[in-house]
Amino acid sequence: MRMRWDGILDRAEEAFLALSLAFMTIVTFVQVVLRYVFDTGFVWHLEATTYAFGWLVLVGMSYGARTNTHIAVDLLSTRLKPRAARAVGAVALLASLAYCALMIYGSGVFVDRLMTLGNDARDIPLPRWLLTGIMPIAFALLGVRLLQAGWRMFAAAQDRGAAR
Amino acid sequence: MSALFLVVVLFACLLLGVPVAISLGLASIGTMVFFADQSLVSLAQRFFATMQVYPLLAIPFFVLAGTLMTTGGTARRMIAFADALVGHFRGGLAMAALLACAFFAAVSGSSPATVVAVGSIMIAGMASSGYTRAFAAGLICNSGTLGILIPPSIVMVVYGAVTETSVGDLFLAGILPGALLTLVLLASVAVVARRQGMPRQPRATLRKLLRTGREAFFGLALVVVILGGIYLGAYTPTEAAAVSAVYAFVISVFVYRDIRLVDIARVFKESAATTAMLMFIIANAYLFAFVLTTEQIPQMASAWIADQGLPPWGFLLALNLLMLLAGSFMEPTSVILILAPIMLPIAVELGIDPIHLGIIMTVNMEVGLVTPPVGLNLFVTAGVAELPMTAVIRAAAPWLLVLVSVLIVITYVPQISLIVPEWVRAPTAALS
Repeated sequence: MRMRWDGILDRAEEAFLALSLAFMTIVTFVQVVLRYVFDTGFVWHLEATTYAFGWLVLVGMSYGARTNTHIAVDLLSTRLKPRAARAVGAVALLASLAYCALMIYGSGVFVDRLMTLGNDARDIPLPRWLLTGIMPIAFALLGVRLLQAGWRMFAAAQDRGAAR
Repeated sequence: MSALFLVVVLFACLLLGVPVAISLGLASIGTMVFFADQSLVSLAQRFFATMQVYPLLAIPFFVLAGTLMTTGGTARRMIAFADALVGHFRGGLAMAALLACAFFAAVSGSSPATVVAVGSIMIAGMASSGYTRAFAAGLICNSGTLGILIPPSIVMVVYGAVTETSVGDLFLAGILPGALLTLVLLASVAVVARRQGMPRQPRATLRKLLRTGREAFFGLALVVVILGGIYLGAYTPTEAAAVSAVYAFVISVFVYRDIRLVDIARVFKESAATTAMLMFIIANAYLFAFVLTTEQIPQMASAWIADQGLPPWGFLLALNLLMLLAGSFMEPTSVILILAPIMLPIAVELGIDPIHLGIIMTVNMEVGLVTPPVGLNLFVTAGVAELPMTAVIRAAAPWLLVLVSVLIVITYVPQISLIVPEWVRAPTAALS
């Protein structure tokens, strides 16, 4: 059951990434054509593109954690004995989780204030809290993905230890 | 005190293997919470605002254009054309690989992407025609750095965004230094090839030259679409990036027809993932740069350097050494984001043109891409060449001499960088 939920979330993440990039590209391109050829355009195009960009990056963060593509320096971990490397890995994971927790808190309060304020975005007729509300969720998801990746690494190291 | 905390936390995190983005973010948040009266709320707000910095919006589009060209056969066509041009010289295939890197750099804004595009085809090809794998890997690892010097360039977009310099001018300024580096690398290959008696291929017939040229034309025309559009005033650099993505899509899907519709979803997903990875670093580097400015660190650093009474050449030397050091430990966009705002005011004080400074920084970052411990091109080359990291580092090292000597020339001869933008600007200025 858990596996299936994971699978749906994974696919949804990927579909969202692809679609938001396609949306940004098409809107920006159409805007150029409209302005240059027909001397007209949409007022909302820029704001819509930048919000899509924000969402793309926020959702992409946890995709990067899942696929392990975030760049890190492996100067120390590759030179240590397995046990020490695992300890260093655990500390690094804790530091990353601390970052997620701080960002969840900060963005949560930010979104909460926008809800109290209740104003709309500049050109899009939607409340700002709705457009930025993805932020705490995205950082929470990043934390979960980091934990999963850390757990997989730990389990793999245990397996290797058992095999030896 | 706060500066010390910031740097210590950053380096501790990096050393522990915390992702670069999170290391930058955690160090900045920590400093803000402990030393300044900034709330986490304002940092969260700033994080989101990074994605509304207009020039940075060019990044996803340039990444998409590059991925479309690599997935489709555009890179392969450029390689065929390069081979037809120089293949008959001694060491011709090596020269063709280098020239292909320069061509691909003109349609892609990223160096690692250039290495993947050319390396995944050419390293195997060179190995089967009698070159060693290590030689091919070392050459392509270094030639691939042209990706960020020849326009378009993601590193220049970031420099332009953070220093408020014209991205269009930076692109134009990169043309001549890019051509110079390509020629010097070609000459070095010629010398090595003669000394080691490398293989040559039969001269391509004129017919073949024309055919490969015509096939590569749609790819190579992209740089005209980008720069021409910006300078005719049809669109901004960010819009130019979107136009180039659509252009790359149209030629790959409808003209060359070598991307199938089922591959398209994957291309978009991969481009979005690469963008997110880059922007996650950049957004945190913006937080880092924000902490630096609120803590007055750039001002103090520039005051300190100004007090040293360095002449411009001395400043440029110090700048290069600092950039090379930073470039070996960090990835280019973070280095630019942190150091450009510190260095720009000092440089302007000493009469150095911001455009020239941008080019110097870009070439420094090229060197940083091939120096360990953090060199993206080294990582990527090891991947496509299927060689261990240590072998790639050793193979890439001799070419570094070429890169560094060109860096010195570009640093001390500003005209190489400035002549093209000035020449393009002159007629428009005369009109107004």
